[in-house]
Amino acid sequence: MVQKLDNYYADFVRTFGNVLFAVSLFVVWGILTLIGVIVDQGKDPSIYFASYPAPIARAILRLSFDNIYHSPWYVGIVALILTSLTVCTFKRVIPARLPPLRPIKIDKIPLHASIDVTGDERTVRERLEGFFRARGWQLRKRAFDGTEWTFADKHNWARRGVLVAHIGFVIIAAGTTLYWARGFSGETVVVTGQSVQIPQTKAILHLNNFAYTITPVLTKGGMVYQPTDYVSKVTVTGKDGVPKPMTVRVNHPIDVDGTLYYQASYGFAMRFAITHNGKEVPALSQRVLLEGQSFDVPGTRLSVSYDRFVPTVDRVSGMPSADPRVNDPAVVLSVSDAGQQAGSALVPLHTWVDLGGGWRLVPSRYLLYSGFQYRYDPGIPLVGIGALVLVAGLLISFYFLPARLYARVDPAPGGRWTVGLAATTVKGYDMFESQFRGIISEFSSEHAGEAS
Amino acid sequence: MNGHLQADELLMIVAIACYVFGALALFAYFFSREAWLRNLGVPLAVVGCVAQFAQLFVRWELTGIWPLLNLYGSLSLFAAMSVAIYIGMAWRYKAWYAGGFVLALAAIALAYGVTWNEGTMPAVPSLQSYWAKIHVPIVVSSYAAFLVAFVFSVIYLIKYYAEARVAATVSKVELAGTGMTMSVRGDTPALATAAANGNPLAQWLETLPPLAQLDVIVYRAVAIGLPLISIGIITGAAWAKEAWGAYWQWDPKETAALCTWIVYLAYMHLHTRNSWRGLRTNWVSVLGFFLVIFTYLGVNIWISGLHSYKV
Repeated sequence: MVQKLDNYYADFVRTFGNVLFAVSLFVVWGILTLIGVIVDQGKDPSIYFASYPAPIARAILRLSFDNIYHSPWYVGIVALILTSLTVCTFKRVIPARLPPLRPIKIDKIPLHASIDVTGDERTVRERLEGFFRARGWQLRKRAFDGTEWTFADKHNWARRGVLVAHIGFVIIAAGTTLYWARGFSGETVVVTGQSVQIPQTKAILHLNNFAYTITPVLTKGGMVYQPTDYVSKVTVTGKDGVPKPMTVRVNHPIDVDGTLYYQASYGFAMRFAITHNGKEVPALSQRVLLEGQSFDVPGTRLSVSYDRFVPTVDRVSGMPSADPRVNDPAVVLSVSDAGQQAGSALVPLHTWVDLGGGWRLVPSRYLLYSGFQYRYDPGIPLVGIGALVLVAGLLISFYFLPARLYARVDPAPGGRWTVGLAATTVKGYDMFESQFRGIISEFSSEHAGEAS
Repeated sequence: MNGHLQADELLMIVAIACYVFGALALFAYFFSREAWLRNLGVPLAVVGCVAQFAQLFVRWELTGIWPLLNLYGSLSLFAAMSVAIYIGMAWRYKAWYAGGFVLALAAIALAYGVTWNEGTMPAVPSLQSYWAKIHVPIVVSSYAAFLVAFVFSVIYLIKYYAEARVAATVSKVELAGTGMTMSVRGDTPALATAAANGNPLAQWLETLPPLAQLDVIVYRAVAIGLPLISIGIITGAAWAKEAWGAYWQWDPKETAALCTWIVYLAYMHLHTRNSWRGLRTNWVSVLGFFLVIFTYLGVNIWISGLHSYKV
């Protein structure tokens, strides 16, 4: 039984510690991510059937490709990558950090050279060591079977680069997990002059005023109405119970008791004056509707929906204009009768619509509303630290090449000595070839044939 | 302002002209190795690059609007950084032969960017952030590094397939003097033999560096691009957190950049394997660059999202 478990463990480590397996996981991760880029996420199923042939649309929905980043496939592949990363870290990266000092067959290493040097053995060794020390190499000597070897290492510390990068990745994952476990986020809409309470924090957000700036720009393609500022003036009451005036702008969130509030959207809420047989109906007239909201007309089967606000109606065509600034505003209303669409109309403000049965409706006043996102994310510091560690690991790995030189001195005919040199690196031989050439060239020009 | 924009457009024309003529000269150098062609093409590349940075600066200085907030500006920086990184790498590795490819791609990027020039527009609120001055140049520079990697990968593949039947990679070279021998990973003996026998293709291939050296140049270029795109994604996340409330929203641009990052991460992991280093990793580099183009242009143009700033 124990033997069987050991075998399973060995198989697990062999598989998950394999770089090609890790790369295969990257490929699957990349493909799933790309699917998420190409296939619109989080849409209504009808959208997929409208956009793709039915079999593909069905496949998208059945395989959860419409919400791929939260699908079992995606979470599973990320979990496998983290497992692979952990196994690789403990089984490959950490053990490889400090390779043992051992003799090699110099001429079997692709980067090798032998240089004949004159002088006695002691001075040849001293010159060899002095040469490498002067160039920042860390030297160690060991004797194997009576032969003395000199090992020179450079950037040995950089062998930890991959480990550092892996640790960074794990810290990011930990930060993200912390948000899932303890963070929250949400959206809320506040109409000018009104307040909302955030359910998770009990903070109260009162919108004093919202303003936006639209700048008309004449471009080569025609007039463009470019939004350039969105500003919400709010009064916020947090845990201390003290109302504080604050300003929320895009890129300038406010912090209330550790929860950040962001300017996310805006729109036009409407008040409708509603009369029945000439008498105002206060219960309906005092309501404020946001775009997309509707109300039922009492005693009838009618329902009126406030579809959207039109800031400016083109006076010539009578149709909505591209100008988003409020000049001649109107609203798009649609009416349904017993759930069936009965019609829709563009209704200028302060003009009435006869709904039949003595009911009349007048879009009387618009109020700007501001949309806020809020988010409490205790994982942010960890994600930030993880990101820095990851980048540091990448930079160490890419820009500092740990290399080891192996040197031995053997007697050669004619009272000379042959210095055999070979080099290995963690990134193969090609990466170090030009440096090795340089080292050999310098050493030979300084010491080859030199008399002691 | 019209006068200023004319100066801006004039610099752009200078840059495009330099790149076009520089590309022609360096393409000719790629095939002929005539030194005068290199001596003509390299200064043109430098002048074009300087003109482009000047154009971006002039546009910023005179309009007061950070010039990288639309495709026109960012493609301009992309082309300039591609040429700048190429010049740096060519100087370091004596790799001027690749200039025709880089300059031609830079000229195409610039010409395409000009079609998106709608004039001066104020930035939308989400782009009015100091992060625009950090995130955008870093990401665009990473794309530029990947372009250079792509070019050297293409040259690698051209050379590899031209040497298709040559397998041996290690030759012994006897170094003159000193009684010293050194192992050098160079061109295949078959290539040298064919060149000695007067095969013009082999003779031309011998003017290119050994495959191993080309592969090292590609690795070095990716080693510039991958940390940059990593930092770019991180700074983008920091900006997103400030602007939209979440550092990661699975926006198409974010996820496409993640996908690109994954491909180059795979490249780096594969490059640690002897059996994958070379032909296969260079194909991954080529694939990665197509993904860069999709991330950079395809997502902005074809897929709507939070990053759809086209003009």
